[in-house]
Amino acid sequence: MTSAQPAIRVHGVSHQFGQAGEARHVQALLDTSLEVARGELQCLIGPSGCGKSTLLGIMGGLIAPTTGTVTVSGKPVRGPMPRDLAFVFQESALFPWNTVFENIVLGMTFQGVAKAERRDRARRALEAVGLLDFAEHYPGQLSGGMRQRAALARALSLQTDILLMDEPFGALDEQTRMVLGEDLSVLLSRSKKTIVFVTHSLGEAVFLADRVAVFSARPGTVKQIITVDEPHPRKPSFMTAPKFHALRDQLYGLLHDEIRKAISETAQPRRRYDQAGAAEADGDRA
Amino acid sequence: MNPSGRGIATGRIWSRLVQIAFLAAVLVLWSLATTVWGVSRILLPNPVNVWHQLIDVVSSGAFIPDLRVTLGELAAAFAISMSLGVSLGYLISRSRYLIRVFEPLLAAIYSIPIILFLPLYVLLLGLGPDSKIALGATISFFPIVLSTIAGFGYVDRTLVTAARSMGASNLQMFRHVLVPAALPVVLAGLRMGFTVALLSVIASETIASFAGLGHHIVDLAENMDTARMFAYIVFVIAIVAFLNAVVSTLEGRARWR
Amino acid sequence: MAVARTDAPRLAVPAAAGLRDRLLRHPGIARLGVVILLFIGWEIAARFFLDRDFISPPSIVLMSLGDLFGTPGVPSALWLTLYEIAIAFVLSVIIGAAVGLAVGLNRFAHQSFMPIVLLLYGIPQITILPIFVLVFGIGAASKIAFGVSHGMFPIMIAVAAGVQKIEQVLFVSARSMGASRWQLLRYVIFPHAIPSFFTGMRLGMSGVLLGVLLAELYVSTAGIGYFTSIFTENFDPTKLIGLVSMLAVIAIALNEIVRRAELHYARWRD
Repeated sequence: MTSAQPAIRVHGVSHQFGQAGEARHVQALLDTSLEVARGELQCLIGPSGCGKSTLLGIMGGLIAPTTGTVTVSGKPVRGPMPRDLAFVFQESALFPWNTVFENIVLGMTFQGVAKAERRDRARRALEAVGLLDFAEHYPGQLSGGMRQRAALARALSLQTDILLMDEPFGALDEQTRMVLGEDLSVLLSRSKKTIVFVTHSLGEAVFLADRVAVFSARPGTVKQIITVDEPHPRKPSFMTAPKFHALRDQLYGLLHDEIRKAISETAQPRRRYDQAGAAEADGDRA
Repeated sequence: MNPSGRGIATGRIWSRLVQIAFLAAVLVLWSLATTVWGVSRILLPNPVNVWHQLIDVVSSGAFIPDLRVTLGELAAAFAISMSLGVSLGYLISRSRYLIRVFEPLLAAIYSIPIILFLPLYVLLLGLGPDSKIALGATISFFPIVLSTIAGFGYVDRTLVTAARSMGASNLQMFRHVLVPAALPVVLAGLRMGFTVALLSVIASETIASFAGLGHHIVDLAENMDTARMFAYIVFVIAIVAFLNAVVSTLEGRARWR
Repeated sequence: MAVARTDAPRLAVPAAAGLRDRLLRHPGIARLGVVILLFIGWEIAARFFLDRDFISPPSIVLMSLGDLFGTPGVPSALWLTLYEIAIAFVLSVIIGAAVGLAVGLNRFAHQSFMPIVLLLYGIPQITILPIFVLVFGIGAASKIAFGVSHGMFPIMIAVAAGVQKIEQVLFVSARSMGASRWQLLRYVIFPHAIPSFFTGMRLGMSGVLLGVLLAELYVSTAGIGYFTSIFTENFDPTKLIGLVSMLAVIAIALNEIVRRAELHYARWRD
């Protein structure tokens, strides 16, 4: 978009879980490079197991890649960078023993926000997602959509430049997804955040993204990048526009073969955000 | 299989009646056995005598010295097993590998009646409270360490990752994520450990001791004072039930769910 | 799969299969190692640091097993204990299964009697051990009775649960195919209850072991309890540890047998 420094720069990243020759060895990513421009919403889309969640973890400093480098806001990534990026996960990562409000305050406590500021920021973040009335509820008392809104509020309250979202609406029903997608678009137009959004849904990718990076089947690498030239906030009417359908068809064409390839694979590694990755499959509780 | 044509409520009332009838039948048979049927008073005391003895025991406070011994042994045993069990359990839970090595081992040891080792403790520590404390601590150590491993070792990974991504320090992780997540399981283990410690202490007093509630029951048996023995048994069962209820309530209060 | 780039990999696990690596991959070996280390520790401590009157090293215990079995009365006490466990277990299974079926198959019986069963199960039975000995004497009968008293409840509860929690859909589909009441019992209920039955037996065996051993230890004038008292009073830790170890081995073996049986018969359950 602009010629300014990209928000995130991924260069030559490959990642494997386990050692070559072991039963559990998986080459998740192979020589992946991409850039996320400041202020854009970039979607990562690809078949199951293509490593897009792994790449998100690598971008966020949760996983150290086997090879390659990542820079965020010009700084090399060596570990979690809570001041620069905030995550929203698919399964609500809210602490069930805290209220929604306490969850958000706790996130800021971890990040190191001054105590005096926390409550105000929490309130504003809840307002931004429309959950202020439910601040004293526990996550278990909320619907899936509301929980994800709360998770988004927590990420917003951290006031990072970048948001990394891993299929945040994946566990929700179609209608809730549409509404939340529209809200996200509105939010994006108001703030100047950079968002990386992993998704399975073609329609969601086209609706939300400024650019879509299409991944190949495992071992994942960027196959092609598609630009969606439509300003935010995007209206629901965009979904019926011919441009939308054309882009969606284009995506489908790119993905179709990759999806077939992925389905024929028998081993599906579980989603992992930490160093050990697929090696830690035993003894874990979902 | 299902009662047809009966409401659930009436079914429940009938069940209650059957239970009451059962209880009444037991009492009636007991009374008959000791009066009309002439079962030896040494084997089966008269229920009325048992009742009188029970009142005497409670009102005279004769149980206090023994209760003090038993509770003292229980407190010491539980304190030891709790501190050792929780700390060791936490340390083991930090590594998936350590869990895989030690958990099956601990579970296997716990599966045999550890009361077997009582004679060894008596040989080492004598017939006094020390051997009871040692055995009680040994037995109750296992449910505590196993549930601590389970509680801390299987915290939802996503929660840990989310906290890490937000910049939580190790101390913050422990205090705000690990402890609240593990608490319900650990508390359940502590409750079980308490119950097991109490039973182990009473068991060892019964088998080899010169003081404590368990021993007093044996003493009365040896003196053929069966009525008073029955009374003491009822009393001890009540104490055990009471202590278990207290601990269960405490556990319920401390959980967040 | 293509090879990764030649930049230096950040995961630094060497590919060589050294001892450390083998240990890491097989926790079972490490576990064995821990047990061996404990025995070595016991050996060294008992041999060089601790008082021989109170504790013996495992090597001496092992070598003195012959002496132990040579002590008149010890082998027969062990056999008698095994016999008591066996009888108590069989009786527990019969009584437990019978009552469990009776209570489980009838909803009314379940509502009425299950609370009584649970209440009795919850009593700390150690308190009534002296009554058992008073009534049944110091011979095998009291040990068997106490064992049954401990072992029958878990079986009752497990069997009752096993026949109860059958999904409605299985009943409905069997009935729709014309199954009679007896056929339902034989082909739907009983097979479904088998895993629970074996679980109950595993718990029942634990209970029987506990009950019989408690009773044996309590009665110090005969059987195992006699010898534990003698060895303790005479400060003979070698024979005492030997005896206790033999009992522990018996307990472990019996537990393992029932556990394996349970795994085998409960295969179709998750």
